[in-house]
Amino acid sequence: MTTPRRTGPSPAIVILIAGALSVLAFLGILLLQGPDLAAQLQSVVDSFFPPAAVTEQGREIRNLYDIVFWVGAVIFFLVEGLIIFAVIRYWRRPGKSADLPPQTHGNNLLEVVWTIIPLAIVLALFVISWQTLNTVDARSANPDVSVRAIAARFQWTFEYLKPDGETVEFTQLSPEMVVPVNETIHLKLRSPDVNHAFYVPEFLFKRDVIPGQDNNFDFVADQTGTYRGQCAELCGAQHWAMQFTVRVVERAEYDAWFAEQRAAAQATPAPSASPGAPSGPQIDLAAANIAFDKATLEAPADTPFTINFENNDAGIPHNVEIRDADGVSLFKGEIFNGVDSRLYAIPALPAGDYTFICTVHPNMTGTLSVR
Amino acid sequence: MATTALRPAVPARSALYEWVTTTDHKKIGILYVINSFIFFGIGGLLALGVRAELAFPGLQFVEDSAYNQLFTVHASAMLFLFIIPMLAGFGNYAVPLMIGAPDMAFPRINALSFWMLPLAGIVMMSGFLVQGGAAAAGWTSYPPLAEATYSGQGTDLWIVAVVLIGTSSILGAVNFLVTIFKLRAPGMTLLRMPIFAWTILVTSVLVLFATPVLASGLIMLFIDRNYGGNFFDPATGGIAVLYQNVFWFYSHPAVYIMVLPAMGIISEILPVFSRKPLFGYKAFIFATAAIGALGFSVWAHHMFTTGSVFLPFFSLMTFLIAVPTGVKMFNWIGTMWRGHLTFPTPMIYALGFLTMFLIGGINGAFSASVPVDFALHDTYFVVAHLHYVLFGGSVFAVFAGLFFWFPKMTGRMLDETLGKIQFVIMFIGFNLTFFPMHQLGLAGMPRRIADYSSTAGWNDLNLVATVGSMLIGVAMVPFLVNVLISLRSGKLAGDNPWDANTLEWATTSPPPPYNFDHLPDIRSERPVFDTRHPEAAAH
Repeated sequence: MTTPRRTGPSPAIVILIAGALSVLAFLGILLLQGPDLAAQLQSVVDSFFPPAAVTEQGREIRNLYDIVFWVGAVIFFLVEGLIIFAVIRYWRRPGKSADLPPQTHGNNLLEVVWTIIPLAIVLALFVISWQTLNTVDARSANPDVSVRAIAARFQWTFEYLKPDGETVEFTQLSPEMVVPVNETIHLKLRSPDVNHAFYVPEFLFKRDVIPGQDNNFDFVADQTGTYRGQCAELCGAQHWAMQFTVRVVERAEYDAWFAEQRAAAQATPAPSASPGAPSGPQIDLAAANIAFDKATLEAPADTPFTINFENNDAGIPHNVEIRDADGVSLFKGEIFNGVDSRLYAIPALPAGDYTFICTVHPNMTGTLSVR
Repeated sequence: MATTALRPAVPARSALYEWVTTTDHKKIGILYVINSFIFFGIGGLLALGVRAELAFPGLQFVEDSAYNQLFTVHASAMLFLFIIPMLAGFGNYAVPLMIGAPDMAFPRINALSFWMLPLAGIVMMSGFLVQGGAAAAGWTSYPPLAEATYSGQGTDLWIVAVVLIGTSSILGAVNFLVTIFKLRAPGMTLLRMPIFAWTILVTSVLVLFATPVLASGLIMLFIDRNYGGNFFDPATGGIAVLYQNVFWFYSHPAVYIMVLPAMGIISEILPVFSRKPLFGYKAFIFATAAIGALGFSVWAHHMFTTGSVFLPFFSLMTFLIAVPTGVKMFNWIGTMWRGHLTFPTPMIYALGFLTMFLIGGINGAFSASVPVDFALHDTYFVVAHLHYVLFGGSVFAVFAGLFFWFPKMTGRMLDETLGKIQFVIMFIGFNLTFFPMHQLGLAGMPRRIADYSSTAGWNDLNLVATVGSMLIGVAMVPFLVNVLISLRSGKLAGDNPWDANTLEWATTSPPPPYNFDHLPDIRSERPVFDTRHPEAAAH
């Protein structure tokens, strides 16, 4: 029998160094974020949970998440505690006598116990998951609003459907879905090209949008507000840019918005985007690969001018919209598919900084300075 | 005495010729390990590219189309060209030795299975040279995105490469099964076989059942792309989700192909450095078989959000697979309990495995719960989960195995201090990289996005993850230095430097080409222990 040999740094040192460095790194990150430690700690705790849900279905999912989280956390600390205890308690320092520990081969009772208990835990988790699934996945026979989200590379459009749930009332070309609060929304999902996924983090929900297979789900948003959504299934180069928003509003506001949109859709497709003939100085702007070629534009103050906009993305819609510092839309150019170009006649603007943005792709944005 | 020297029947060849033409399972095993490590390096550099791009919002280093190639080839290289072949390499090296066989059953097929891998790797990487770049549809390559309309020639090269690797795996699996069933030494019954050999046995069964399904799916995709097959493209009457079913029917069992042998390595190392037998040897074998069997009934948990899966069944099976996995965790802890623990580098890595794999098991339960998966699917939470299983689990086990068997393979020990320095850097780097991904996923960051808005609240955690990934890269420096120094001047190992128990330690380091001059009696799963401790052997 050989004597135990020295084997480099002792395990206690290794564990201490690793632990100390992790704690230092953790505290360093906290301090970098600000001095208010209590608030920082709260935000760290919050980061282990999904955002507060804004739909009835999302709340169910959040409750389930909390259960799974706490069960998982308890199991982690128990088992990790056993591992660390065994390491410290049964650590054999070099130089001790070389006799063998008891050669235990197993223990049937113990092994049955640690099979049955985990089995009971996972069966319980399965049952509550199944119950929640039935609630979350339920469909209403009479949804209040039916919308069809069309996910195409790389933008979202929303078709508002008539009560028959099939015919289109009007199409919302900008990637914003407006829905009334506390009502059942039936969302149909359609893709003309590849797989996408409709995902709103605050809904705690996503569903794939698969060509040839119209998926759907119901939700009831119970908090007014604007929520960010994004495609969650890889769909190509600009997958990352495929974003949208969901705006949850009171019924009255929804009705007004709805009437306005429907009226606009029924009106003759007038060149509302281009009131008046192109005039004034001309500014060139182009879009390719879901990006503008310029980050800043300059225009003269108090003079109408023209933007010559080239859309070089084949089959992808773009436009130029101009918003003031408060986000109020001052001009919204016609949305059109590339490859094509349009002349947008922009009304006179007072001096100041404005934002220009593609309505379909809110990531495409830049600054318009009017001097 | 005659003065004529015996002349070798075959004239001596160069070392290179020896290695290229070898059919010795030990040399082939080492070739597997070296080749896999090269692709680990390539896949790692691609991952650093991904992390560099995500460090800050905005596209700084690569275009979004190139970014998609980076993560696609990163995952494909790590799974198909690193983890699976690396573990097959350990199997190749260790299994014949462990069961007292002189070689694999089919040495030439063994060489063929190996040499298909570098070829496949070159084919996959050559995608970067063709028009449109390498495969960019993710390692899952879901149609319609992977169809010819949306993806270039790189995807064809990717399909050819993965089918080649699959063929190599199938040949290897047949070889392992025949070796294990036909070449065990006298006395080496199945229930005396080392756990690592058992995990290779179960893995080979998984490969044999699952890999042909992947190959057929990929060939259908190839036909779709090049000959108008109409299998998966809805635009021509195909079914997009069909591919996902076929793909995951292989790729979920593939997770166990990547994890079971890693568990096997850990189950060899923990008893050695606890000076005890594995706690619950038979239960461990049943748990391994149960994971293998259940592994075939959980594939659709990757598809919960497709809206075309019978959710409760796959949810139940996914939860159930946690039970045999939990049994193994308790068996490992039971092995250490009341042992005499020492902590050379292989043991340190094994402990790292236990902790990381524990997290990877628990965060997997979140996705087994279907409604929770609706929130977490395709977010960075899933990226965290899979890396805790495949990096924290499999890769830590790979390093445990490298430090454990390097003395047997080369006759020299790896340096302990450098090994522990590497462990500390890698352990911290790993957790800095992948732990924040849980929080990123919960905060709604989808995977596979090249860029994110600076107002989404994901900036800090992404930067932390990138710093962590650089640390993982740094951790490879002491390892490479360690291997180069130790090969030349490492401490001589002797036959059994760890006082280990299985048959590979009963022969010289490195073993002769025919493996054993003589075998000890095999009366338990620890024949070398029995020889060393005849007083304790009677049981």
